[in-house]
Amino acid sequence: MHALGKRIAFGALLLALGASQVSAEEVLKIGGIGTLSGGGTAWGLAIKRGAELAIDEVNKAGGLKVAGQTYKIEFIMYDDQYTGQGGKTAAERLVFQDKVKFIIGPIGSNPVLSTIEITTPEKVLVLGDGYTPAILKNEAHAPYNFRFTLTNLEFTPKMVKWVKENLHPKKVGILEPNDAIGQAVAPNLIKAYKEVGIDVWSDFFERGTKEFTPLLTRMIASDVDALDLNFNAPGDSGLMLKQAREAGFSGLVYQMGGPSVPENIEIAGKSAEGFISYEMYDFTSPVGKALTEEYDAKYGKGIINSQLPAFYNATKILFEALRRAGTVTDTTKVRDTIEHMDGYDAGVYGPLKWTGMETYGVNHQIDLPFFIVKVQDGKTVPLAEIKP
Amino acid sequence: MLSLLSNPTILGQIVVNGLSLSAIYVLVALGFTLLFGIMRVVNFAHGEFVMLGGFALYYLYGMLHLPWLLALVLGALAVAVPSLLLEWLVFRWFYQKMFQSMIGLLGLSMVLMFTGLLVWDAYERNIPRAFDFMIKTHGVILPADRLVTIGAALATLGGFYLFMVHTRAGLAMRAAAQDVEIAETQGINTRRIYQLAFFVAILLAALAGGLYGQIYAVSPFMGERPLLVAFVVVILGGMGSIPGAALGGVILGFTESVLGTLYGGSAAAYASFSVVILLLIFRPWGLLGTPE
Repeated sequence: MHALGKRIAFGALLLALGASQVSAEEVLKIGGIGTLSGGGTAWGLAIKRGAELAIDEVNKAGGLKVAGQTYKIEFIMYDDQYTGQGGKTAAERLVFQDKVKFIIGPIGSNPVLSTIEITTPEKVLVLGDGYTPAILKNEAHAPYNFRFTLTNLEFTPKMVKWVKENLHPKKVGILEPNDAIGQAVAPNLIKAYKEVGIDVWSDFFERGTKEFTPLLTRMIASDVDALDLNFNAPGDSGLMLKQAREAGFSGLVYQMGGPSVPENIEIAGKSAEGFISYEMYDFTSPVGKALTEEYDAKYGKGIINSQLPAFYNATKILFEALRRAGTVTDTTKVRDTIEHMDGYDAGVYGPLKWTGMETYGVNHQIDLPFFIVKVQDGKTVPLAEIKP
Repeated sequence: MLSLLSNPTILGQIVVNGLSLSAIYVLVALGFTLLFGIMRVVNFAHGEFVMLGGFALYYLYGMLHLPWLLALVLGALAVAVPSLLLEWLVFRWFYQKMFQSMIGLLGLSMVLMFTGLLVWDAYERNIPRAFDFMIKTHGVILPADRLVTIGAALATLGGFYLFMVHTRAGLAMRAAAQDVEIAETQGINTRRIYQLAFFVAILLAALAGGLYGQIYAVSPFMGERPLLVAFVVVILGGMGSIPGAALGGVILGFTESVLGTLYGGSAAAYASFSVVILLLIFRPWGLLGTPE
């Protein structure tokens, strides 16, 4: 009996130790939504890897400490296929099946709009992207979603002005996908060009198209002297750049949106020489170099999409908000905390600044600098920095 | 917009683009139509064999820097030979079972695509161009790699025609395609002939994949478009008909080039699929196919 008693006591001790370990390290699930198939995959990977890098930092440091409790972060991400239906399905899985309270991503107007349709009534916080104003400017006033990248409303007028003053095109060609995204983006872009006196030629292509040569031939016949790859997905814009040169287009090629410079260099090869692009992040800065090293160590030397820092930043800001709010369940309290974090520096872009009240009716739009870069000898070199 | 046709440079470019697109489409459709013609298998995994061919060339030419032609042929073989295992495991159960093959091979397509995603990630990769120059004559530009694709399509079509018409194996394949039972009573080993037809079909798909991947880009999802193209081409030309695949490829290539240049991408897609629908209503066996 004595031996049995010892065994029972030992077993009880083990159980107690196990239980204390469980209570010391709870798991906090963070959701992710992004495009992991098709032409926009590079953007989905930017969300995934940006969030993973921030999560790794926290987990390696022993977990996220919120109100005396330590949480190990678990990241669950689903593919939205760059469609509204995909975004909706992914959001439903995360909210109702995985029970997450915080979502990083998605990119793209349709997936974001479908995501917030599901998450807003459930008070799930979405830290995403997407260019359409309706993401923030809606009846509900975007109560549970923030935008962590600039949209064309913020940077297009500034970049069009820069293009006009520095590149002097007379007539710009634009190719857009024939869907809700393309049809929403094209009129704004055309308007911005016309306002500064630049003529525009535009046409639509069907999603999934790989051969743009007939359209580019049509464009060349319209005496266009500059091609703007605008907001096309990396896979598409790279092919447009390559095929424009192969079709004999010798004019200027630049990208007002995107951005996807490394992908365009990878796909277009030598045809990418001289290509100019909007760029969200300066990877040549000390902070950018450190992030690149961290990325290379985890994923091997490869392409870093410049949307990645935005989601790395978003995830880091979320963690700080959770610490400050002292809760991982009360999303309203976390949202209020994020709204009042102006000046907080997550070490990615500098001090945080929220804007958007004037344009969208809610201060959930991040304000950031942006860059203009050029491809020279197969490498990206900075041309200009446009301050907020 | 028709005024564009009065511009000889644009007209020339439309013809060049049409030829180049036709060549790609014919190459992509050949293997697909062969499997259907001989074994009545609708190979929904066709695009994934195209994808594997693209990756094979990416490694052999882009990474290992083998001579281009050697890399192209070796790459196609590197896909076709191991695929014989898939033939034994999966394909042989679907011979002469058209509808079952659609569902079964759709599953195989998913398996291959997502295995590709796990192995290679989702980024689109570029295979360096083997012929990095452009020929310009009378204002019309012909990139050398497109010219090579046109040459490859013609050579493949010619070689394949000679194989089917002038070899005993080709004769046996045609016999098996016409009537399996009678072919067997004539001493033809149809199991062996089916294996050979499968091997040739996958070899053609992988070859097309190398050329397609080099012109566009390589990724685990690159097979979606070639499968769609193969379907349109063989429906136009006639399921199982080799000359039909050639004709269908030329029709689709030139439709896209002419209408895409004159009226835009949406008009070209609209017209292509409208023709397919009309054909399915009035001549479901295609332009050069034979009614069942």
